[in-house]
Amino acid sequence: MGDSRSSGDRHLFLVARKPRFGLPTACPSCLPVYLYLKLANADFSVEFDSSFPDSDHIPYVEYGESVALNNEKGGVIELLKEEAILDLNAKHTSLAIPDLVSTKAMVSSWLYEAILYELWIAIGGDVARNIYFSDLPWPIGKILHWKKIYDVKKLLGVTKVNCEERELEIYKKANEAYEALSLKLGDQVFFFDNRPTDVDALFLGHALFVLHALPETSELRSNLLKHDNLVKYAEHLKAELQLDSTPSSTQPSSSSKDASTSSAPRRKPSSGWGAKPNPKPKKEKTEEEKKFRRRAKYFLATQLVAVLVFLSLMGVPGDSEMDDEDAVDYDEE
Amino acid sequence: MANSDPIPRDQAPPSDSEETNGADEISEEGEEEEDTEYEEFEEEEEELDPVRERERLKSIFRRLSTDPVHVRVHDVVIKGNTKTKDAIIEAEISDLFKKPRTVQELVAAASIANARLKQLDVFDSVSITLDAGPAELPGTTNVVIEVVEASNPLTGNVGVFSKPEARSWSLEGSLKLKNLFGHADIWDTSGAFGWDQSLEIGTGVWVPRFKSVPTPLSARAFLLSQDWLKFSSYKERLMGLNFGLLSTNNHDLSYNLTWRTLTDPTRMSSPSIRRQLGHNVLSALKYCYKIDRRDSHLRPKSGYAFSSTSQVSGLWDLRGLKFFRQEFDLRAAMPLGFWNAAFNVGLSAGAIFPLGRNFTKLSTSVPDRFFLGGHSSLVCSLGGPSSLLGFQTRGLGPNDMRRVLNLNKDEGSSVQSDCHDFVGGDLAVTAFADVSFDLPLKIFRDAGIHGHAFVCAGNLAKLSEGEIRNFSTERFLKTFRSSAGVGVILPTKFFRVEVNYCHVLKQFENDHGKNGIQFSFSSPL
Repeated sequence: MGDSRSSGDRHLFLVARKPRFGLPTACPSCLPVYLYLKLANADFSVEFDSSFPDSDHIPYVEYGESVALNNEKGGVIELLKEEAILDLNAKHTSLAIPDLVSTKAMVSSWLYEAILYELWIAIGGDVARNIYFSDLPWPIGKILHWKKIYDVKKLLGVTKVNCEERELEIYKKANEAYEALSLKLGDQVFFFDNRPTDVDALFLGHALFVLHALPETSELRSNLLKHDNLVKYAEHLKAELQLDSTPSSTQPSSSSKDASTSSAPRRKPSSGWGAKPNPKPKKEKTEEEKKFRRRAKYFLATQLVAVLVFLSLMGVPGDSEMDDEDAVDYDEE
Repeated sequence: MANSDPIPRDQAPPSDSEETNGADEISEEGEEEEDTEYEEFEEEEEELDPVRERERLKSIFRRLSTDPVHVRVHDVVIKGNTKTKDAIIEAEISDLFKKPRTVQELVAAASIANARLKQLDVFDSVSITLDAGPAELPGTTNVVIEVVEASNPLTGNVGVFSKPEARSWSLEGSLKLKNLFGHADIWDTSGAFGWDQSLEIGTGVWVPRFKSVPTPLSARAFLLSQDWLKFSSYKERLMGLNFGLLSTNNHDLSYNLTWRTLTDPTRMSSPSIRRQLGHNVLSALKYCYKIDRRDSHLRPKSGYAFSSTSQVSGLWDLRGLKFFRQEFDLRAAMPLGFWNAAFNVGLSAGAIFPLGRNFTKLSTSVPDRFFLGGHSSLVCSLGGPSSLLGFQTRGLGPNDMRRVLNLNKDEGSSVQSDCHDFVGGDLAVTAFADVSFDLPLKIFRDAGIHGHAFVCAGNLAKLSEGEIRNFSTERFLKTFRSSAGVGVILPTKFFRVEVNYCHVLKQFENDHGKNGIQFSFSSPL
């Protein structure tokens, strides 16, 4: 689908990982962003990327000439809020904000770690392979899969020695989070003031992934199923948002873009899987410095050429023709 | 009188042996007078024999070089190869000595055999001698091939070069281990470090023939990392295998299996580049036909050259890139008759098409597209459209706007330097005309330093993603970029240097053309 952009309507382009397991996007990092845009009734198109499974900048949202990357400023959702592109929390009262922030922190940390552990370490490789590596040739997919498992273990601090202990700790925190959320939700449709917030997008993404993508043997899934209201919440919103139908989308490579002006995010320390530190911004060089560098290069090059000319004039380069010394010579003098 | 026998080796001119052994004679006191008389007699004969012998040899050589002296090769004897297998040497020369029927043809065949064996690059020297055949078989000769295997099988070299595809020049070094298994096999390890922090490491093997395959085969594993951030906002890392399947003077067939990864650590790339980031597999068969009839590839003054390169990628459904790429390159040179001047012209064209259903709507991979610009020599490089002097590397053609950053939302300030990514073209055409001439000073002429004046033009167009419908030949021709200039070429032992002053005649918005002096370093070979 590559709908053309119009600068006034601010049509958004979400690039995420491909759909699977009945979900519009099977990646647990991409699904909350998709749901956030859905809950905000944003005008957006989805494109799927299947060639960069180990990137930490996906998902990203393009708006005009700017882009909100997953590994900047706390993620796509935070960036969209900060740039006032889409802010689900805008209409909530200041009284709800502290509660909202702490709930979001719990979902973003404890449940996020639980998903990471479950997907990459606890269960077998089939789920992760289907989501991330099925479109790549097998050897490359395998190598990237191993690399990802190594990175996740490093991120979660899981070693051979403390594996069981970390597992218990992760599941314990996840259970506590489920209980707290279950109590918070009660019979409501949304967590806060019956209006959707970014917490709803984050937890809904988590819950749908756990319920639909993880196998029945998954302990995390079993723990979530114990909380009926959370399961009902997820299924209800899935039907409401019509997530069963696969969104029309295009592969990123066949889309064409028109330029349009838009605000752009400020950079902050990145987060996300395999997060890499921000590159340091290049120091702006003054015109004088540039001029000096250019002149210095010309000077050095001229010196080098002068040396070469000197060497050439002192010694003519030999031919590269074949020596004929072994051939029979008939021209005897 | 006709004599079909070649000069036997055992009948060397006696004068030579006499000259070398005369000082070794010992005379005793008791027989001094007789010896003296005998010596005087011999000396008289020696004085007559060298002259007679010389005359005799002269007439024989005259006959051998003009008259058809019939001869047949009876046997080929190989000596000196302790490590190299006889079969390898025999395979190189076996077809040469079956056909000659005269001494002249035999000498020519021996010359070719000598060259072929030296081309193997595993011998320090090769000498071929025509010896007399068995006495009972008159008119026959034995070919004796004496080789001296390389005393030091390990060799290395270092050089500084600039390549069309590289951003700048690079320091390259290689180590070769020759004839490890006696099959004239050459194992090499090479490394290249670019000024722009590009890095290439490779190791491979080359054999002149393998079992029933008569042409050279090669296999190479490589790792290449290249930085295109300044021009196209991506870094490229390639890891793979390359197999040379067929290699002759004119034909070259190879298979390439490469894992390619594109990343953007700066996060400033344009949407077109951002969508290309990730991993890809290139499983491609490449065929190159090349014919070069120019008298020199460094300073051609007459002749023509043509090359055609075809590449098909997407073999065996490895879920990799699927495309067909074709390049043509045509050159011609003609002497002008004054100042050792020559006129060179060239025309290059290339196109790439994705393969698959609805291919007109599919996209091509950015690294496989064509880019124009850079400092590589117009005349020397023969390999498709790439060079356009006066323009920066990847300095023209289709481009996309990079990401805009707002530093301070309130004040509205933003940062965007070098704000476009060059994404390459699916269709590329370049042309040039060059006049080379000697410089007035004799010292320059003796050193091979010469001048040249040139004019070149080129253009790129996008055809993929539906753009082929919007393509117009008229607009393509109208949007040709061009430049002209003069320069000096300095050939040295280590590399060939070009110093050119370029003036851009025509460029368009966002192109990176610049008037000024450019340097280019290339291989001296």
